[in-house]
Amino acid sequence: MLLRASSDATDGHADLTSAVGEGRGDGVDHGRVLLQYAEAANQVSPEIASLSDEVLDAFGLIGLVEAAATVSVFNGLVRSADAIGIPLDGVVLNATAEQRSILGIDEYAGAAQSRADGA
Amino acid sequence: MPPFDNSTFAYPVPEPILTAFDDVWTGLGQPGDWWSGAERIAIAGVARRAESRSHGEQIPTLAELDSTPNPVISPLATEIAHRVTAEPGRITPEWGHEAVRLLGPGRYAELVAVIVLLVPVDRMCTLLGRPLEELPTPEDGVPSERIPSGLGDGGAFVPWAVDGWVGPNVARALSYVPGDNRRRMELVSAMYADSDEFVSLMWDHRSLSRPQVELLAARTSSLNECFY
Repeated sequence: MLLRASSDATDGHADLTSAVGEGRGDGVDHGRVLLQYAEAANQVSPEIASLSDEVLDAFGLIGLVEAAATVSVFNGLVRSADAIGIPLDGVVLNATAEQRSILGIDEYAGAAQSRADGA
Repeated sequence: MPPFDNSTFAYPVPEPILTAFDDVWTGLGQPGDWWSGAERIAIAGVARRAESRSHGEQIPTLAELDSTPNPVISPLATEIAHRVTAEPGRITPEWGHEAVRLLGPGRYAELVAVIVLLVPVDRMCTLLGRPLEELPTPEDGVPSERIPSGLGDGGAFVPWAVDGWVGPNVARALSYVPGDNRRRMELVSAMYADSDEFVSLMWDHRSLSRPQVELLAARTSSLNECFY
């Protein structure tokens, strides 16, 4: 939801399918390299070194640190959410229903926790 | 010297992140509310070794596992720590409720807390080419077993803050263990966004724009099959 909202706010209109691996980061500046970096960083694959260099070229030293920090902290947040069984906040649940269905996110194991909460 | 001094990184890591990392490291080895320092470090050790298992692999049910410490934490706690670390996308409501029933809400919440404090620090080190920091030496002391006031059922696997709560659910996820929850939110504030930044859709004070950060976050969530 925040990808869509922040992208719309900056007239970027990000391709949301990028989030689920079906897009190329269109609508976000340097979206392609950021997507590739996110995938390598989550899998800690050998490509991470060359992709870090690409992020460095695009955004500089601080940009690379910000990208690494984002992936890293979300690796904690997703585990908090799944392990604690956090139901999606009501506003978000209602605002994202169509996108979740289209992108297949409703099929994730954790979705049942939000349905049990009243969805 | 604090372990996460900037000189230990090859890149300029902002001071709030280093401070949050140091705070996490200090807390990891201290007795928590439900586990001793040695048990917390044992949980962190399991998390560091955990790898995702294939879908066909035989995994015992939680009820089959011994809850007796062996030698520091039990096979039950070890399996739960493994799942939370390496297979979070496979956590179903049935599994979550069973884990809480067998371990107790306090021990379960704190086990999760140790993992979600450790993982971002370790991942950041790995991504920036820094060796993982050695886990801290456990400190003596006994868990307080203190249940915070104002908790209740909010639809999660464990009770969390309900009295007067205003904010996203993720911020109260670990309110059963307030010390660790504070450290977790310090990490989030330093590595992602503080409360003021969170509500602003346009960031012009960083190298990455808000949509760029959210693209990284959304892809990370999807790769981990996180619904939230």
